[in-house]
Order: sequence, then C-alpha cells, then structure tokens
Amino acid sequence: MHHFSPRVEWMGLVFDIPTIIMMVVTSLIVLLVAVLMSRKLTAGVPGGGQNALEWVVDFVTGISNNFMEPKKAAKFVTLGLTLFLYIFLGNQLGLVLNVNTAHTEVSEDFFKMLTVSGTPEQVEEKAHQVHEELANAGHGEHHGVVVAWWKSPTATASVTFTLALMVLLYAHYLGIKKSPGGWFKGTFLNPIHILEDFVIKPLTLPLRLFGNIFAGEVLLAFLLSVGVFGSVPLFVWLGYSVFVGSIQAYIFVTLTMVYISQKVNDDH
Amino acid sequence: MVDLGAITLEWGTMLTQLIVFLILLLAVRKLAMGPIVAMMEKRRQHIANEISSAERNRQEAEALLAEQRRVLDEARQETKTILDRAAKQANDEAARIIAEAQETATRLKNEASAEITREVEKAKAELRDQMAGLSVLLASKIIEKELDEAAQKETVDKFLAQVGDRL
Repeated sequence: MHHFSPRVEWMGLVFDIPTIIMMVVTSLIVLLVAVLMSRKLTAGVPGGGQNALEWVVDFVTGISNNFMEPKKAAKFVTLGLTLFLYIFLGNQLGLVLNVNTAHTEVSEDFFKMLTVSGTPEQVEEKAHQVHEELANAGHGEHHGVVVAWWKSPTATASVTFTLALMVLLYAHYLGIKKSPGGWFKGTFLNPIHILEDFVIKPLTLPLRLFGNIFAGEVLLAFLLSVGVFGSVPLFVWLGYSVFVGSIQAYIFVTLTMVYISQKVNDDH
Repeated sequence: MVDLGAITLEWGTMLTQLIVFLILLLAVRKLAMGPIVAMMEKRRQHIANEISSAERNRQEAEALLAEQRRVLDEARQETKTILDRAAKQANDEAARIIAEAQETATRLKNEASAEITREVEKAKAELRDQMAGLSVLLASKIIEKELDEAAQKETVDKFLAQVGDRL
C-alpha cells in the first residue's frame, strides 16, 4: 500500500500540504502547551503545570550545561526547549491519530497535486502509480489512491533537514561571530573537519531523526493494514515508538548543543 | 525539489518549516521563556534574601549568646568574690575571737597567780609577826618558870607542836 502526499507548486517552490498542516498543528500544540504551563507562574511552591515546565527547562538546561559553561549555555536554552518540544510532540503526534482519505476518482487538479516531483521522468512514474491504484481500486486491499493527512512532521525529510541545517548554520554563524579566524582554522584546515562539517553532520543529524520516525510510521501503517493479526504487535510497536520518539528528540537536542558548543567553546 | 522516493526535499516545505519554526521560537521566547526566566530570577532573589536574612539572624543570635555568656561569667565571678570575702571575714573573726579569749584567759591566770603570791606573802608576813609575838611570850614564860629543864623541854615541845600545827 502506497501513501500519496498532495503537493502544490508555487513560484517554482514545491509545498507538501499534509506536512505543512502537521507542522502548523505541532507548532500550535507546542505553543499551547508552553503557554498553558507557564501561566500562573509563581516563585514560591510551584503547581502541576509549572512543575512540568520547570522539569523540561531544567532537562534542556542540563543537556546544554553538559557541553558549555552555564553562562554560555543559558543563551541556547530557548532554542533547545523549542526544538525539544517541537520534535518530541511532533514524533508523538503521528502515533495518536490516523487520518487517511481513499480516492477512487481523481480530478485533474488533484491528479497534478499528486504527481508533482523533481524531474519529468519522476512525474511520469508517479502518474503511472496513481493510474495503477485507481485501476486496482475495489480489489482486495486496494482502496484507490490513499492520502495520509495526519503524520509526524518529523517523518518528512524536508522538515528534519530544515531543522538540522538551521541548527548547523546557526552554529557556524556563532563560530564566525566569535572569531572568524578561529572558525576558518577549525573548519577548513583539517580535511576531516571539512568532511564532518559539510557532509557528515548535515546528513546524519536530519536522517537519524527522519529515518527513525518514518520507519516507525511505515511499520505502523503496515500493522494497521494487516488487521486482527497486527493488533498485538501494533500495541507493542506503538509503545516502542513513544520511546523512540522521546529518545530521538533528546538526541537531536543533545547533538544540537554539541555542535553549537564545538563552535563557541574556546578549546577545540 | 529533490525526489529520492521516501526522502523528498521540497524547497517550499523547507522554507515554510523554517518560517514556522522561527515564529514558534519567537513565540515561545516571548510567551513562555520570558515569564519563566523572570520567575526563576525572582525565585533566585527570594532564596538569596532568605539566605542572607538567615545569616543575619544567626549572627544576631551568636552575638546575643556571647553577651549572655559574658554576663553569666561576670555573675559567677562576682559570686565567687563575695563568697571568698565572706569566708575570709569569718576566718578573721574566728581568729580574732580565739586570740581575744586566749588573751583574757592569760590575763585572768596572771591575775590569779599574782593574787595567790600576794596572799602567801601576806600570810608569811603575818606568821612572822605572830612568831615574834610568840617568841616574846615564850621567853616571858620561860623566864617565869625558871628554866625547869623538864618543864622547859615540855614547853619547847609544846611550842614546837603548836608551831608545827600553825605552819
């Protein structure tokens, strides 16, 4: 079973609609959680929401303090907190709901949205897949063209790459701001560092998160499609996915702090 | 757009994600982190105040304790002085009374012996006077009896017995 994602092309840029819906939903939930928990803050004995928020802030502060002096680390706590909440909640969101639509008939505009791709050959291939699904609709497990509207935003490579590249560029910016000469020496003089900074980090950081969450969702979709036999493994895998989602958020934030610390710390 | 099957990178999605995340970052900073940082700073100051006031109270208590101790020591010292003085006074008084008693006793004894000596002297003088008188009387009696030897002897014995009795 193949899940399609409708995309729109606008001013030469391609937008993935379900992913954008999910990133906005995730952002709103993060904001809601953060604002709700930070209401009625007190310097005295904290209540439930404040306890949770303080725990998260302490948690992120602890991560950044591992790699930098507390004074430097304090500047990156907001970034770490937002990243952690966004990735953590994004990872879990894909597990709580499943909104799929199956289309046995596709209008011309929708057909175009389903087949947007990088090269004409790829467009051709996707068009072929859509036609195949439409032709097989109603036979056994085939329900037509299935579009998944609800998924983890982090199960999309564009999202994880954006977050990772943003963090890495920010780290480079901090390094240049601190000392352009030091940044140049630390980055370009050693071939290993060039490889690390421009190939390894930009690939491993986003792909680790994307791979874990995407694979989890693929397996979830498969277990859902096999029916009764999949129910026990489904629950096991759901529980494991919660764990994986939490660990991946922690790893992403930890590596963010490591990469920033490598650029802002005095000793390389 | 880069399409590698499952891994697709769409510039539009990426741009949207960047903008959405930056807005989220700013919103979290303004709506959540601002109040949290302010609250934590307030709590930090509160704790610092509590610590410094506790420290102040402790110092005050220590000063009071030292003062109390000093006063107590002073009182103890004073009591000791007073007791010592009283004991010394009592000792002196006892010594004085004993000395006085001894002196009085010595004086009385001396007076008594002087009195006795005087009385003895007086008795001796009286005896001497009486002996003279008796000698005269004896002489006259001897003369009267005309020297009868037997009678004389008897008289002298008698006399000597008389004197012996007297003495």
